[in-house]
Amino acid sequence: MLHNTKCECGHQNPVGTVLCESCGKPLDDEFGTAPLEMRYDGIARRSQRENPVLIDRVWRFFSSVKVAIILIFIVLCVSIVGTIYPQENTFLNVDPAVYYETTYGLAGQIYHALGLSDTYNSWWYKLLLIMIGASLIICSLDRVLPLYRALNKQQIRKHLSFLVRQRVVYQGQLPASGLSASAFINELVPILKKRRYRVHTDGTALLAEKHRFSRWGPYINHIGLIIFLLAVLMRGLPGWYMDQYSGFLEGVPVKIENTPYYLENEQFTVEYYTEEELPSEFRGQGRAVPKLFETKAILYECTANCSTNQPELKQVHRQNIEVNKPLKYKDLLAYQFDYRETIQIRSVNVSITDENNQNFGPFELSTISPKETYVVDPYVLTLKDYYPEFALNDKGMPYTKSRAPLAPAFIFLVQGPNLAEEGEVFIYFPRDVDKQRFSQDKLNAGVSDMIDIGAASMNDVDISQFTSFLNIRMDRALPYIFTGGVIFMIGVIMGIYWQHRRIWIRIDDDREITIGAHTSKNWFGIRKELSDVLGKAGITVEPKQLENGVKQS
Amino acid sequence: MNLEQWSGNALLVAFILYNISFIVYMIAIAGKKWSNRDPIMHQQRWSRVAFILTVIGLVAQITYFITRWFAAGHVPTSNMFEFMTFLSMAIVAAFIVLFAIYRISALGLFAMPVSVVLISYASVFPKEVQPLIPALKSYWLYVHVATAALGEAFFAIGFAAGLMYLLRTVDYSSKTKESRNSRLGIEFTLYAIVVVIGFVLITNGFKSAEYSAQFTQEVQQKDEKSGELITVTKTTNYTLPPFIQPSNSNMERMDPFLGMDQPLLSAPSWMKGIDSGRKLNTIIWSLLSGLILYWLLRLIIRKPLGAGIQRYMGGIDAEDLDEISYRAIAIGYPIFALGALIFAMIWAHEAWGRFWGWDPKETWALITFLFYTVYLHLRLSRGWQGLKSSWLSVIGFLVVMFTLIGVNLIIAGLHSYAGV
Repeated sequence: MLHNTKCECGHQNPVGTVLCESCGKPLDDEFGTAPLEMRYDGIARRSQRENPVLIDRVWRFFSSVKVAIILIFIVLCVSIVGTIYPQENTFLNVDPAVYYETTYGLAGQIYHALGLSDTYNSWWYKLLLIMIGASLIICSLDRVLPLYRALNKQQIRKHLSFLVRQRVVYQGQLPASGLSASAFINELVPILKKRRYRVHTDGTALLAEKHRFSRWGPYINHIGLIIFLLAVLMRGLPGWYMDQYSGFLEGVPVKIENTPYYLENEQFTVEYYTEEELPSEFRGQGRAVPKLFETKAILYECTANCSTNQPELKQVHRQNIEVNKPLKYKDLLAYQFDYRETIQIRSVNVSITDENNQNFGPFELSTISPKETYVVDPYVLTLKDYYPEFALNDKGMPYTKSRAPLAPAFIFLVQGPNLAEEGEVFIYFPRDVDKQRFSQDKLNAGVSDMIDIGAASMNDVDISQFTSFLNIRMDRALPYIFTGGVIFMIGVIMGIYWQHRRIWIRIDDDREITIGAHTSKNWFGIRKELSDVLGKAGITVEPKQLENGVKQS
Repeated sequence: MNLEQWSGNALLVAFILYNISFIVYMIAIAGKKWSNRDPIMHQQRWSRVAFILTVIGLVAQITYFITRWFAAGHVPTSNMFEFMTFLSMAIVAAFIVLFAIYRISALGLFAMPVSVVLISYASVFPKEVQPLIPALKSYWLYVHVATAALGEAFFAIGFAAGLMYLLRTVDYSSKTKESRNSRLGIEFTLYAIVVVIGFVLITNGFKSAEYSAQFTQEVQQKDEKSGELITVTKTTNYTLPPFIQPSNSNMERMDPFLGMDQPLLSAPSWMKGIDSGRKLNTIIWSLLSGLILYWLLRLIIRKPLGAGIQRYMGGIDAEDLDEISYRAIAIGYPIFALGALIFAMIWAHEAWGRFWGWDPKETWALITFLFYTVYLHLRLSRGWQGLKSSWLSVIGFLVVMFTLIGVNLIIAGLHSYAGV
């Protein structure tokens, strides 16, 4: 159907225009009296134009604010449902299928079956967020360009019905000061300029406008949100996001998987509040309130032999990690997560004693990565076998229970003076407990009267107290996420704390003055401002009387 | 007198001043109809007194805040008592900001009680200065909490003005379904406020009477070290007489209450935790005492509470109330987004290494944000100003309060403070 969209002022408007782009005359309800719908200045949105094909229909769907509101509301409701029971990601090592049923019964079973136990990682939740993203982009594009055009070429003298159908209206006579219409307009200019309005005049008409930039606030905050959502999606790309938990025994560099880095926990400290520091109510109850968890960390980068157990490490960073003070090095982040008391022998300074009680050594014997041979002139020790946590199975064969050096046992082949040419086997348990339990002396019966291997005192034993658990992370999307957040805030503040205000004035027949005013928000403010301005120009009117529909007495 | 006591007294002074200022606001608004006076003069004079009292009260509360800060060595927003008092302070500040713009003194009549109720609510929680556990030692935490609370304070004023709009416009003589629903909604909202007051009164009442009862519950749980199932005995202390005991629990001891020397009922078996029984008991006590209080008030004024208040709402412009509500929410929205989402993400990133973890409190902050986002977008649509958006502002504040209190009571998470 052909629709005549030409306004009486001669301007050709696009289909869908509500208010003439040029003079502001209402096009579709010419004779109404209700205040005008001033959204987007009555322009035709992009989506209202063509005969729709499929892509236009999609565009049209997402360009609707109503659809956007419904989408936000759905996300809101779904998010509420997701907080009814704890989500799966709050548990480690729990089978969700069993957990929800045993803990919450039938309701829990249904909750899990519907996928609500992992709401926020589900495909449909992500799809909803993507739809909101699409709505943000399309709603903005649909409006911002036409609005920009409309605000960029405003006519100063607007149609009379455009003025009287604003929400803030004044109609009256020029004050009896004898000023001509154009002189009165000129008198208003400095008053309005003082209030930071940009004033344009056209003979007996005037347009004053301020804070137009606040109109762009919503679009800027939408851009921020889009960046934010995109950045969140980017974390799904390989190499963008890493999240792992590792234990670090004191004094042992540990490789951080998938990176060239090794991290060493030099020392871990846990401090509790002393009785004096606690409030009186807490005292004498034996309550331990932790004050500090700290890992003295050294970060190394591997330079060579990285896949062997003798890598060459170069120290690149050193930092004390506390809760709220993560280690930061380039993209790598390490957070204090947990700790465990793990008393373990890290290394022993051992020496060899011969039958004459003469000592040789000492040399450092590591329980973490022992060397294959130790040369202690005149002796040579070759490590034949090493069991970090020594135990005997039911057939009496030795094996190791774990890789943690909880009960280390070293089996050496010892060569040296007065020993057999091919060497003698010597089993060494650094811990006295193990020495007794597995009867080291009996096992070494053949050689124990010729040599002994051991530490002279406790000072020669290096013991580690704690394992610190760190959360190692890398998140390349973070800068984008926070940039998105900052842009969003700038947009919201622009759009909300400032308002785009416009005042149109026209004087007809040299004395009939008609004023219409519009603001994007805060009508109370603009009424007060207009009342003040008019008061300075000699027209007394109460702010409340400027409201459209309130009788002007 | 040490600094901590000093600070406690300053809070008490603020609380009393807020109460008096509320009463003076009542005199200013209700006294207009008293004989032999010029109503406008009367309201102006008394509102000014009320406003001055509010400002002095705020100064007293700021004194409380700063002295407690020095006494504790950290910003006092780290437990429920401190947070709630901070929120009430922010609400008074937000009220002063909006009063400065709109000069509608009746707003004080609604804003002050919100603040007073929150301080009383805070009084239920332990008041001691507590040492901080490592996770709470971060400047971002304080910035996050303070900013979020300020945003929420503006939402509270939005709620007050929205409720005023409803009270001002609802028609108590009309028989249409729409206005009947409105009246019911208003009564329900007022009842909800009365429930909070009832809760505060009974908790503090039984606390000062030193009422106590104790229950134990045997729970099977995995031993952390051995991984075997072991039986653990958990204990809970009731400070309110137990109508309801935790499910599968044994009574250790119970002070008799009005001849009742054992609980009437046991919590349903699906409420497993020992604390959920206690919380259910507290909720029943609150609802009951709220109901008694509500009917007492109704007996006194002999009509629905809303109708009683409406009598004094004449002469206030409804459109202005609608705009104040909208403006307060619009001012609060960016502050809330900054505090409850952006700063929260920065803190979460520093403390836990993830800026977002879908913890129930975090999720509810997002839900609050989404709710007000919907509100702001709906305001742009025709037909959503006035009545509908006033309802939204009331519901919105309900969402805020659920995020602050309900989540801690019902859903526990990382943010759980000590609950009652």
